[in-house]
Amino acid sequence: MRNVINRGFASEAAFVEARTSDGLTVDGIVEQRWPILDEGEGDWKSHAAAIAQSIQIIKKRLQWKKIMVRLDVLSAELNRPDLWDDPVHAGKVSREHGGLMGKLKEVRGLEQELLEQIDMLKLAREENDEELELESMKALLLTRRSAKEKEHVALLSGDHDSCSCFIEVQAGAGGTESMDWASMVMQMYKMWAQSRDFRVTVVDEMPGEIAGIKRATLKVDGDYAFGYAKAEVGVHRLVRISPFDSAKRRHTSFAAVAVIPILDDASSHVQINESDLRIERFRSGGPGGQHANTTESAVRIVHIPTGVTATSQNERSQHMNKAMAMAVLQSRLDQLEMARQAQMNAQHTQSLTEISWGNQIRTYVLHPYRMVKDLRTNYEVSDPDSVLEGDLDGFILSFLSASLDKHGDDL
Amino acid sequence: MGKLHRKTLETGVEGLGDSYFTESLALSTPPDDPDPLDSNLLLRELQWLLQDATGDVGRSQNPDLVPLRADLGDLYGLWRERVLERRPFQYVVGCEHWRDLVLWVGEGVLIPRPETEVVVDLVREVVIGRSGRGDGEEVWADLGTGSGAIAVGMGGVVGERGRVVATDLSEVAVKVARFNVERYALKDKVQIRQGSWFEPLEDVKGKLTGLVSNPPYIPSRNLPGLQAEVGRYEPKLALDGGESGMDHLIHLCEGSVSYLKPGGFFAFETNGDEQSEFLVDFMVSKLENSFRDVKAVADFAGIKRFVTGFRS
Ligand SMILES: C[S@@+](CC[C@H](N)C(=O)[O-])C[C@H]1O[C@@H](n2cnc3c(N)ncnc32)[C@H](O)[C@@H]1O
Repeated sequence: MRNVINRGFASEAAFVEARTSDGLTVDGIVEQRWPILDEGEGDWKSHAAAIAQSIQIIKKRLQWKKIMVRLDVLSAELNRPDLWDDPVHAGKVSREHGGLMGKLKEVRGLEQELLEQIDMLKLAREENDEELELESMKALLLTRRSAKEKEHVALLSGDHDSCSCFIEVQAGAGGTESMDWASMVMQMYKMWAQSRDFRVTVVDEMPGEIAGIKRATLKVDGDYAFGYAKAEVGVHRLVRISPFDSAKRRHTSFAAVAVIPILDDASSHVQINESDLRIERFRSGGPGGQHANTTESAVRIVHIPTGVTATSQNERSQHMNKAMAMAVLQSRLDQLEMARQAQMNAQHTQSLTEISWGNQIRTYVLHPYRMVKDLRTNYEVSDPDSVLEGDLDGFILSFLSASLDKHGDDL
Repeated sequence: MGKLHRKTLETGVEGLGDSYFTESLALSTPPDDPDPLDSNLLLRELQWLLQDATGDVGRSQNPDLVPLRADLGDLYGLWRERVLERRPFQYVVGCEHWRDLVLWVGEGVLIPRPETEVVVDLVREVVIGRSGRGDGEEVWADLGTGSGAIAVGMGGVVGERGRVVATDLSEVAVKVARFNVERYALKDKVQIRQGSWFEPLEDVKGKLTGLVSNPPYIPSRNLPGLQAEVGRYEPKLALDGGESGMDHLIHLCEGSVSYLKPGGFFAFETNGDEQSEFLVDFMVSKLENSFRDVKAVADFAGIKRFVTGFRS
């Protein structure tokens, strides 16, 4: 820790950047543009580049430059001899200072760790100490993983990011082909959610006449489900030879994806009046009661003042379907309210499109070539099958980092 | 108990599909069946069957192995019974999900219907409305309890001071209901007694805080035309309501006069609009001054399914 000098509340910006013994800095590593390979491949440079990249993203997310300026202001305050004349104000200042310093130290610690490990590795090589070299590589790999984790946490610090969510998929116009596409998209999210160990349930699904689905609602339970899934909001476009076209022509179809957070803080829920609801048994007919034995107990709830409806059909009792439909309705109404508030607050107009069905975000081409490309980030993959099997994290994380660039180029 | 490789199960459902499950799905709509099964519904039931069959049988040592409660051949046999013999799904898996409960059911006891779940909500509203009034014990009755569905459901909502007494004439029903009561650890709260309607309730005559029942209400002449799952498998004793379907309902209304305490609540399930309207009229005009606030209440399909009110 030779570069960390305790300078009391002195200016933070005046901090001397950490370096390796031969003068390499974290920014310097980024500038080298060493290729970042998979964990198991490449040498230390790949690990170092990955860690440096994570650090950069974390700094961006923290709005690093602003933090530095703010810390200077706070330090100046703390250095004033009359500070404690107003203890309430003093407490506030010192708390904020402490909080920011904590973040600062965490990032600096990570930088320090990286540079020390590089030094160690170089030393091991100079002295031909294989054991030490192996150990340093291992340490570097561990740092890479923990930096990645911290990067994810930093990317997912939006208001409702930590919540579970509903994912809704809706087929575009175009008949069976687009309904089939919608069901492929739904399947993609199911598999993605499973790969992340989220619990996923199909709440409501309206099948197409011949194949596929007209729309579906998935419930995805788990930490940060919304934070990740919100990156998928928008229209997804498929280009392929349709198996439903006997003339074997190429078709383009669309599916729209919406993602709604399930707010875990009950106090932020919109109040729903029991008397504003109409609860219907969905898809029922006939005399019912003792006449009918059925496992079908779908329930639809209509919120009369807004016309918002919610349906649940895959639970095994009417009571549970009703509870699930209520949860969907609650989230939809909460979302409506958030949109309304965002609209009132001009600063947030951007989030309005973000939470509605949104624009076209990604193209999946199966013919004449094979590719999946995100139109927002230009991130692309040449193996559509893996993507359709739920390998979406690359798309999601590149979008989340890119939206940082847009909103906070304060590095 | 069987074992299955997870890989076999995942890809296997498809793989087995040709010979096993999809065959039965294809069989699900015999061209001559006047009342065919809905294939979406069947597909969902099949998922539930597999879910129940692979359910928490205890963690297997090998993560690639999925323990099964029954071997695949038996499962297939059960599924054939469901599709070809029209045996109710709930008898096949031995349980019915009802409200937030999972109740044991089997041949000889009626499978509780989704409509009936609302009876427990009606009771809950009354309990909430009464809270704070009086301080003695409150006894609720469920007549013709069958699997014990309503009784167990009520056990969860009648509050600290409440307890439930439930009756049924059928020996099988009494056995199944007792099992379900114990399963939910409600032995001290819910008592099951065997006997005809009010007969086992002499000790609480005139003391009941509430009385609910879903008695047999199908007119006898309609029994032969019932849906296969109901007509072939469910007990006649649970369905047959006599010539008009109202024999038991009328008996229960009359009995309520002497078994409910003043202000006591009642709720009956009926065959629908016609029976409910008749009963409301009957209780208001024939059993003059015995009841107040008598009304028909609709189920979620908009059918007037229940008649509720209070003893004057
Ligand atoms: C329609 S089932 C209702 C079962 C259960 N309460 C439910 O809702 O699922 C009617 C029940 O009434 C019972 N039952 C028929 N005649 C009876 C009688 N005379 N006394 C008591 N119970 C009777 C039947 O055995 C059957 O369990």
